[in-house]
Parts: sequence; structure tokens; C-alpha cells
Amino acid sequence: MNIIVISTIAMGGLGMFFAIILAITNKKLYVKEDPRIEKVLEALPGVNCGACGNASCHDLAQKIVKGEAEPHDCPVGDSEVTENIANILGIESKEVITKVAIVHCGATEKIRKKRAVYIGGQTCRVADIIGGEISCSYGCFGYGDCVTVCLFDAIEMVEGLPVIDLMKCTGCGQCVEACPRNIISIEDFSKEKLTSTISIACNNPDKGAVVRKICEVGCIGCSLCEKNCEDGSFYMDGMLARIDYSKVYNSEKWDLVIEKCPAKTIKKLGKESKCVCVTHP
Amino acid sequence: MRLKSFKQGIHPGYYKGLSENGPIKKCPSPKKVIIPLSQHTGAPCKPLVERKDKVERGQKIGEADAFITSPVHSSITGTVKSIDKQPHPVSGSFDAVIIERDESIEEKEWEKGVIDLEKISADEVRKKVREAGIVGLGGAAFPASVKISPPKEKPIDTIILNGCECEPYLTADHRIMLEYTDDCILGLKVIMKTVGAKKGIVGIEANKMDAFKLFLEKTKDEGNIDVELLEVKYPEGAEKMLIKALLSREVPAGGLPMDVGVVVHNVGTAVSIVEAVRDNKPLIERVVTVTGKGVNNPGNFMVAIGTPFSDVIEAAGGLKDNAVKVIMGGPLMGIAQSGLDVPVVKGTSGILVLTADETDIEEEVNCIRCARCVDHCPMYLIPTEFVKFARGEAWERMDSVNIMDCIECGSCAFVCPSKIPIVQYIKLGKLALRNLKSKKG
Repeated sequence: MNIIVISTIAMGGLGMFFAIILAITNKKLYVKEDPRIEKVLEALPGVNCGACGNASCHDLAQKIVKGEAEPHDCPVGDSEVTENIANILGIESKEVITKVAIVHCGATEKIRKKRAVYIGGQTCRVADIIGGEISCSYGCFGYGDCVTVCLFDAIEMVEGLPVIDLMKCTGCGQCVEACPRNIISIEDFSKEKLTSTISIACNNPDKGAVVRKICEVGCIGCSLCEKNCEDGSFYMDGMLARIDYSKVYNSEKWDLVIEKCPAKTIKKLGKESKCVCVTHP
Repeated sequence: MRLKSFKQGIHPGYYKGLSENGPIKKCPSPKKVIIPLSQHTGAPCKPLVERKDKVERGQKIGEADAFITSPVHSSITGTVKSIDKQPHPVSGSFDAVIIERDESIEEKEWEKGVIDLEKISADEVRKKVREAGIVGLGGAAFPASVKISPPKEKPIDTIILNGCECEPYLTADHRIMLEYTDDCILGLKVIMKTVGAKKGIVGIEANKMDAFKLFLEKTKDEGNIDVELLEVKYPEGAEKMLIKALLSREVPAGGLPMDVGVVVHNVGTAVSIVEAVRDNKPLIERVVTVTGKGVNNPGNFMVAIGTPFSDVIEAAGGLKDNAVKVIMGGPLMGIAQSGLDVPVVKGTSGILVLTADETDIEEEVNCIRCARCVDHCPMYLIPTEFVKFARGEAWERMDSVNIMDCIECGSCAFVCPSKIPIVQYIKLGKLALRNLKSKKG
């Protein structure tokens, strides 16, 4: 009985003693932090992806409050995030064009031509060392390295090709880094105004005849899209068509261009496309 | 007698009987050659010719301005058809010069000259070897002119002529040793004279007794040349293992054989050096072993550089119906090819064709940490760590377990009971680490 009483008092006393020390040090050694940093941090997406160039979201929040960075510096946050941060700081926010990742390969598992059987590590990076099994030396392997690195769960493999959910994608660029074949690029896309975009699903700069031999849906460099859409939103980069995404939103000729493309290389992405599930609020 | 050797390593099946008995045959001159502008370790060449140019056999068609590089030469007389990206057996695809043969013109041959060992100067040999585009013919294709130009602070006392050919199936070096014995020994003397080495050693594995006896016979009057018999073991022919076995010297981590006063040359390279110095003949053809159960008539062929694999296999009687896998080089260090349109390059020591029942398609399973790879690694590395870090993309930590010292011999993957493609992960790690370092500057 005695032992229980003594130990209770001893442990309780020790606890009290340390609690008092903690309370005192908490007051004495308190570091004053701008309360706005906490608020800005809450407004930021908070995934610590590093796309802005800072070590963490907290780092960026500190810089924004100090005035060393702008509210729209978070490449992941949309205009809502920017506006919230601007409101916290009491400054005016600029209009931001958010960015999304766009895939430039359209050869699904079914139509992808193979030149050999590949047995080895089942990731794109490992397969790329010896070129993998597909005929096209620019196309998607389909092992999904991009899916693994995506922090926002925005990429899904459908029929052996990565399909990006435009509404979930924040344009952080992790997938661009992960892809050994460089088939993903980050492009302008205003989520407030648009629900879909357009892509040239090919990254093969070779001549048309060469591309035709190895892929049914590869860009053959006919430049019909450039001719059909006279506003300059499509242009030729050697033997490969490309899109100027700063102009494409004003174009009303998407459907015509898609229809006229002889190799069916141009694809619509987003709401109208069946592959992408749109979860915009 | 206990044979000289190194510790660890493996004993795979050797299968050399398929091709070791026939003499070297000449592969018919191809209609078209694809000559990649990078066939060596070092800076790639820039083309010296344009489309529709007429080129002669042995004419220099590519060159680069760097210390570690090697020019490329046309191996046939004809017209340049195009210069663009073509399949490459090592790097997948690379810029190459395509030349179509002009059948009306007879091809140039080189007359045999003489070498006066007393008179030739080291600088002359180096210049001729560099101009001739000679690279190590064992497989790594390191420019030979760099190897015979050691810096002054690293004196070379011994030259080793590598006649081990420890890779299973390959017999090209074996045939060279039997048919070009005099040139091999002369080449060794030229290299010894050039770098000022006092001693020369020819290392031959014990499964090539005929070559060993021939060399012993021919060098019995040479006081400074030894012929040594080595245990049959893989990778005996890797230069670091060979130095360890013959001289008990260990090349420091990250170092070169010249750090311990040794230069190792393949027997084929020695013959090419003699041809360059004596006859002014550039490296435009090499001996290639075409072998495996998937070809009809395995053998050794003298093949013009740039000949497509399909032509070489045709010369060996073509593929059998059950052939499934074509490898450039031997089964352990060779590179699997995805097509037969790739050309023979300077580093192509063999073309191996395997059949369906030989290729093991067992699925990769988890590592059971049995450490068989650790027990067999001739470099005393820990392959299990490489795989772990490569899967976790921890490239910097790979550096801390000395991944750069790996010689990619494949002993680890050979003994792995879980069938993990360890070498592939190591290659990935080395590549990523190099990219990381160049990014940091």
C-alpha cells in the first residue's frame, strides 16, 4: 500500500515539475511567427511537391509573406488559391493561367507495334536503357512510371497509355521528369473557362514514311492542321505538328482539324473525351 | 600445378566447341554498310563526307577533335547514300554513314610491309594507331592510342596480352591466336617498345592449350615475354581480374591499370596495331564469332565493319527456325538485339543466336538475401544493395556502395536464384548517377 502511495506521489511530482519547466520555457523561448504564414500555408495545396523551387510549402509561405515571392508563384495552386493568399495579405491578385500535363503519344497497347520481346525490369526507366520492345523509339512504354510519381492521383493507365485527369492535374511537372521518353509536356490550361483541351498525340520527329511504318496514329508531318487552322495555333516543328497553347483556346476550328487529320493523331482531352473523368466541382 | 587465377567468379558452361575448330572464313563483301559515327568509348565523330560522295575502302569518313576518341573509316568502296540515325547495337540508335558498294571497282588491299623494331619511334606508332581508328577489340572499344599514351608520372613496366576469352561461346580470339600468332607477338613487342615496358605477358586460359603451346614455342627465344596459363573461370579476361591473377596487383577503386604500371591489350587489338603500323591499314574489318544453337553453320568470320547482322548470319548458313534471341557479344556481357538490321561495329566480338529452350524466361521474384551474388562478385561489391537502391531511386546512396567499380560482368545475375536482372539495375544506377553528377556540374 505504502509503495503505491509513494510511487504515485513521486511520479505525479516529477510530472508536475517537468510540466512547469515546459510551461516556462514555452513562454520564455517563444518564437514570434507572423500569423499570416500559418494562414498562407493553409491556403496553399500543402503537398510539398517542390515544383515552385522551394523546399516545402512552408518555405514558400514564408517567402510570400516576406514579399520575396508572389501569391501566384505556386504552380500547383489554381486561381482560387492565389486569390485566397492575396486576400490574406490584402493585396490584389493577378490572373493566373494554370498548367496541366499533356501526353504526346497516342499508341495504345493494341496498336503499338513491337519489334522484339522484352524480358526485364518492368519500369520505363529500366526498359529505356536497351530501348524496350516497341518499334517507335519515341513512344510510350506503358509501364506507368508517371503514375507512380504523381502526387495528385491524376494519372491513370488506360489501354497502356497514361491518361491525365485535367481537373486533378496541377502541372507540377513530376511526370515530365519521370518519363524517360519525354512524351509529357506542361502546357497552359485555364480550368475556370475550359473543361477540355487538345493534344497532338505523337512525339516522333521522323519523316512521314518512317513514322507510318511503325505506328498507325503517328504524326506524318502533312501540315494539314496548320493549313486548316489559319490562326497559327498549330505549327510545324520539322516533321512534327505542335500546338501553341497560348492561342488554342481562342480557336473554334478544333473539330475541323481533328476530323481532317489523316493519321488521327490529334486528340481531344477532357470533358468530351470518354477516357477522362471530370470531377470539377 | 595450380593455375593462376583470381578469387570468386563463376564457372558457366563454355560451349566453345560449336565454332572453335574451323578457320576464320571471309564474310562476303556486303552490298551496303552502315558505319556508326560512334563505335568507341569517348567523343563521337563528325562526318567528313557528304551524301553522294564517292569513298574508297579505308578512307577516313568521320573524326572528332578530342583526346579520347577514334576516327571511323569506310570498309567498302562505293557511294555515300545517306547520313542519318540508324540502329546501333549498343546505344539503340546513332548517326551513321550508309555506303552502297560500287561493284565495278575492285576493292583496295594493303600490301604487307615490314616493321623495324629498332627504328620505329613511339610517337609514330601512337599517331598511326590513332589515325587507323584502333580501339580495344575485346568489347569495351576503348581507343588504343589512349592506352599506349600513359602520362609520364605513371611508368608502365608490364604489358599483358589478353588471350583469355572467358565469355562462353566466343572463339574469335582463340582463332586469332592460332592463325595470327606472329602478328600477336610482334604487336606485343611494338606496344612494349612504345610505352617502354620491360616485360610482356600473354595470358591464355587453360581451355586453349593448342594456342598456349603455339605461343610457348614461338616465344622460347624471347627472354622478356612470358606465356602464362590461367584457370578457366569467368571473368578471367576482365583486365582487373587478369592483372590480379598474373601479377597479384590490385587496381585501385576508380583507377586504371596504368595506375599499377600495367597496360592490358586484347590479342585482336595487337594484330590490328601491327596492321596499322606495318601496312598503314585502318581498322575496317574484324573477326566475329557467329555461333549458338540457332545458326546453321557456326564459325568465325572476317567481317567488314558496318555489315548488317543479317548478312553475317546469312554467311553462317542463316537462322534455324527455333532461333529466338540474338545477342551482340557473349551471353554474359553481350547486349540483346531487337532486330537484324544493326551493323557490326568495332566492339562486336560475336553474334550469338539462342534457341527457345535455351532462353530462360523465369519471372523475377523477391530477393531472398542468400548473398550468392556477394559470394561470386569478382570486385567484392554487394549487388543486393544496388538493386535495393535502384528500386528506391536512391542514386546518391549507390555511390556510397561503390557502384562505379562494378565491371558489369553479370556473375551476380548468373547465380541469382530469384532471377533478378541485377546488371540492368546497375546500368540504370550508373546512368542516373552520371546524369546527377553532370547536373551538379
